[in-house]
Amino acid sequence: MSEEANPLGNIYISHRAIATIASQSALESYGVVGLAAKDLAEGLAQVLEKHPRHGIDVRYDSEGIEIDLYIIVEYGTRIKSVASSVAENVRYYVERAIGLPVRQVNVHVRGLRISNTD
Amino acid sequence: MSDFSTPTAHDGRRLAKELLLDGQGLRELIIAGMTWLKTNQQLVNSLNVFPVPDGDTGTNMLLTMQAAYNEIANSGEKNVGKMAHAIAQGALMGARGNSGVILSQLFRGFARGMDTLDAMDAPVFVKALVEAKITAYKGVVRPVEGTILTVAKDMAAEAEKALAETQDLNLILERVVDAADRSVKHTPELLPILKQAGVVDSGGKGLFFILEGMQRFLKGQALDVAVTTVQPLAAMVMENTLEQVEEGQDFEVVVDFRPEQELNLEKFYSELSEIGTSIQVGEGDGMYRMHIHVPTEKRYVPIDYIMGLGTITKVAMENLLAQMDQIGKEHTPKLHFAPVEPGQIAVVAVSPGTGISRIFASLGVAAVVEGGQTMNPSTEEILHAFENLATDKVVILPDNKNIIMAAQSAATMTVKKVAVIPTKTVPQGLNAMLRLNPEGEFDQVVKEMTQALEDVDTGEITIATRTVEINGIDVHEGEVIAIFNGKVVLAAHSIEEACLRFLEKAKAEDHERITLFYGNNISKNEVNLIVDKVRSMYPNHEIELHEGGQPHYQFIIAIE
Repeated sequence: MSEEANPLGNIYISHRAIATIASQSALESYGVVGLAAKDLAEGLAQVLEKHPRHGIDVRYDSEGIEIDLYIIVEYGTRIKSVASSVAENVRYYVERAIGLPVRQVNVHVRGLRISNTD
Repeated sequence: MSDFSTPTAHDGRRLAKELLLDGQGLRELIIAGMTWLKTNQQLVNSLNVFPVPDGDTGTNMLLTMQAAYNEIANSGEKNVGKMAHAIAQGALMGARGNSGVILSQLFRGFARGMDTLDAMDAPVFVKALVEAKITAYKGVVRPVEGTILTVAKDMAAEAEKALAETQDLNLILERVVDAADRSVKHTPELLPILKQAGVVDSGGKGLFFILEGMQRFLKGQALDVAVTTVQPLAAMVMENTLEQVEEGQDFEVVVDFRPEQELNLEKFYSELSEIGTSIQVGEGDGMYRMHIHVPTEKRYVPIDYIMGLGTITKVAMENLLAQMDQIGKEHTPKLHFAPVEPGQIAVVAVSPGTGISRIFASLGVAAVVEGGQTMNPSTEEILHAFENLATDKVVILPDNKNIIMAAQSAATMTVKKVAVIPTKTVPQGLNAMLRLNPEGEFDQVVKEMTQALEDVDTGEITIATRTVEINGIDVHEGEVIAIFNGKVVLAAHSIEEACLRFLEKAKAEDHERITLFYGNNISKNEVNLIVDKVRSMYPNHEIELHEGGQPHYQFIIAIE
């Protein structure tokens, strides 16, 4: 739970809310074709599931927000570029929406999807 | 097979009507697209709405095109399909940034549509454009419309329509380029953030330039002069041009006019460039706006010149030097950075506030990257700050512990010799700066600058944003806390109390000098009251006060 004060009281932002923003902005990032279960046992079958915390891990302390993304990338894209774009996208949207610093966005590429065979 | 047999450009060849384009022909079109994109790179870069690294869309797309070109630079391949696959491969390997990745996918689909055909005719070209769109759309779960994807989609749709009417590749390409142009202009209607910023989508514009370059090549038009860059009136952002005031070009003249006959833009531009610099032309509803920077004595020349072309409706003239002073008071003044000679050591500092940037500049840094506690600059921004410096020896001062990593990763992304001095605070960065010897031996200088970190203690005064117990101290939100070399050491009820107790805790009496940098969130009155108190408590110390301009921290304090 992130907290911030305003003159009338406190603002609490849940991890789930942050995860939702992160998930939306990740899925709008080019090259990301899905979010994967954080641990593989949950299985890749749940790719694209609507649950907002699926494939997203949010932690928070006094230093800022830390986000882990577990993504599936389109096969045939340059993974390095896709990964850095998604990290920037997520950081930008979360910071803009929440107004607290995002200290780290770690991107875990959990798999590739082959939708185009060349 | 095609009429592209020699790799010389600009002589106005058209594809034969019954037309086939082979591998070499495609190679030349790619070169033309790349060259034209390069010519217009800055314009694409300027269409920036997100403060994210992909703000260099033009550069990213160009680097991707260059990677594609490198793959085929010396290829004698005649088979157009194989050539297209080689291009796609090159683009994939070198894809930079978001737009670069999408571009590489477009090439990939384009190549697939071509299969391994020997030569391309109109139906194959159209099929390849459609494949390009389909492939690109598969790369994202939720495509955002109003981007390069939309432009690719509109291009494919127009190509299919055109094919129903003609088999002439020239005509089809022309219609595709027109469709791309319209689509780009329409992007602000689809993506509100573009509309707010008054720009069109940069990636879409880049794609348009690549295609327009191909068309210009076929028409024999020049590819190396950005002549006809007219932007929508709403997109002319005047304030941006202020940052690029050139020596001697002291006046900014903006003229709105309605030309009597259609404006010959190439001629217009070339005649204006005789008069001044920073030329921009905007157009909307037949109304033109011209923007130019000129020397004082020429300030009426553009007006006289345009008077001969049509009816002038409005003239605005500003003295840029005076204007800059004014803006400097409100915003960031223009910083004068130390000039860098090849072989010298250049320093790039991250600065959280305008005042601190000014101090860094006066100490001789070569560039400043803005950023701090809440807005950490990205690796790319840091990289960007030093990549164009004229030397290959660079020292980075991150000045915040959250930025050290980005700085280190920037250091690995360049061929330059880069050292990151792990400065966690602004005072550490300033202190390190004092030890800089630009002519010195790199490793030695880095070592000395690093040692300087230990000579200064840093205090940061801020308001707690939440209630927490940290390092055995109970902090309630809203209380003022003091951070001593990165650790919270006390909580107080007022800024003054926090400062004074902090100085005590940091054993300021054992030191000689206290420097305070005040932030943008505290009034000058309050600052003066507090500094007077500090002066009276430490009468024998040298006490300095500077405007830091940093957010969040009411004070950053250096104790030496």
